[in-house]
Amino acid sequence: MAVLEIRNLCKSFGGIVVADQIDLDLKAHGVLGLIGPNGAGKTSLFNLICGVVPPDAGSITLDGLSMEGQPIHERARLGLARTWQTLRLFPSLSVIDNLMLGPRDYSADRLIDVFLRPTYIAQREREARQRAEYILERTGLIAIKDSPVMDITYGQQKLVGVARALMNEARCLLLDEPMAGVEGQTYALIQKVVRDLAESGVAICVVEHNVAFIKDLCDEGVFMFAGKVLARGSVDQLIADPHLTELYFGT
Amino acid sequence: MDYLYSILILIGLFIILASSFDLVIGHCGLISIAHPIFYAIGAYVSAMLAKHNIMPIPLAMLSGGVVAFVASALVAVPALRVSGDYLLIASIGFQLGLIELAKHIHEIGGAGGLTNIPSFLIRDYGRESYVVLVLVLAGLTVLFIKWLTQGPYGRMMAAMRDDELAFSMLGRNAIWVKVSVFGIGSGIAGIAGGLYAHYFRFLEPDQFGLLQSSAVLTMVVVGGLRTAWGPVIGALVLQLMPQMITFFNLPPSVLGPLQGLIFTGLVLVFMFKRPQGLLAAPVIWTGKAPEKRGA
Repeated sequence: MAVLEIRNLCKSFGGIVVADQIDLDLKAHGVLGLIGPNGAGKTSLFNLICGVVPPDAGSITLDGLSMEGQPIHERARLGLARTWQTLRLFPSLSVIDNLMLGPRDYSADRLIDVFLRPTYIAQREREARQRAEYILERTGLIAIKDSPVMDITYGQQKLVGVARALMNEARCLLLDEPMAGVEGQTYALIQKVVRDLAESGVAICVVEHNVAFIKDLCDEGVFMFAGKVLARGSVDQLIADPHLTELYFGT
Repeated sequence: MDYLYSILILIGLFIILASSFDLVIGHCGLISIAHPIFYAIGAYVSAMLAKHNIMPIPLAMLSGGVVAFVASALVAVPALRVSGDYLLIASIGFQLGLIELAKHIHEIGGAGGLTNIPSFLIRDYGRESYVVLVLVLAGLTVLFIKWLTQGPYGRMMAAMRDDELAFSMLGRNAIWVKVSVFGIGSGIAGIAGGLYAHYFRFLEPDQFGLLQSSAVLTMVVVGGLRTAWGPVIGALVLQLMPQMITFFNLPPSVLGPLQGLIFTGLVLVFMFKRPQGLLAAPVIWTGKAPEKRGA
């Protein structure tokens, strides 16, 4: 069974259709690449899945649970995590504190616990810190864990964005252009982290313009154009299709 | 001597007001200037409960805080569901509307004011005891807010101020955090209101208007947003300054507007020349020292 199931998803802003009867399944252990030219509706699809914008029609289920009408934070607590094209890190927090806010159940989510259950809070904070340090270790960020996120390199910031999303222990992870502007060691690191996650059973969806990365990483690709899913298949197949290439690069 | 005690008590009360307001506007980033109306609610509720012998005064003061807490949540929930900006409008509307309403309720003294509010402590233990009570509670408020904002809840507020969408995507409920913090800040102001009522024993609706809003805002901005001691310094400076003006023997018709001018003028000067206030908050949220965190 698919982890994330999208059925007949429709959304338009005025006359601009960003999602046109989209059906899409994200399966556990799979990395699906979303390919398409700018304006095809890739990021809009992410925003619809996360509840940033409500759909006009259609349904989205996570592990069989409908997410209809659920606010963003409830979806995250069901096991949905994402990264952002523009990173959206918290500039007034250090690297590790950015991660510390990421668990599905944050220590201080219930204010009453802050006042009445100090040992519970301390326990949850310890667990979160351990997990954050483990993830920072894996992503090669442990040495800069106490640095403000504005003081580190762009590549490192990209990694922090991914690392923060990992704190959720998500069932489904959406990565919005994780490789844009990243090269060398960081590129390899992100690739390895994503691959390991997929192996551990997470359903992953990647929006990426870098076709090489999509080829390296994704088992399957989906080609989107004008809010429609035009084709689904192996990445090589999609790249080889002259019709899709023409849509992608224009004529 | 009584004059000195009154000033000390006002300083203590404004430390409580400014600190709790800093929690709302500084730490949580909620734009509202209607803090004094929750101070007023606490004052009136406590005064009425005690005046009609419904409960002992300490309990009445606490009830005033609870009512202010509930009232603020009722204002915040609908406003924040739409957007944070509406809170400013909703809260000012609530403040001015309630003041007008209070002027027309005969049972709470109307525009002329509520008189003969029972006093607390003073008769048995002297005015000094009340000064001590207020200053101790002011100190506790400062420490409480420092504790809250340096813990995991403070980390949440810092992140939410930075980027609400990313914050929500991590599974954190931004609206709930805002309503809670607005409620706590307003509840503390409500308790301060009770403390005011049972010492000065006279309340009138107009004293909780925009002039007082600007006074509290000035204290926080001048002292330094998001610092534990900034609101304390702000309250001291801005409580003492108007007292000094009174020594010039100006007519009341000049004195009132002059105070307003000083408050708003100071906010403007500080916004342009030293936006961080007298004490600057650290740019990065650090919470407690890491070694103390796990304890």
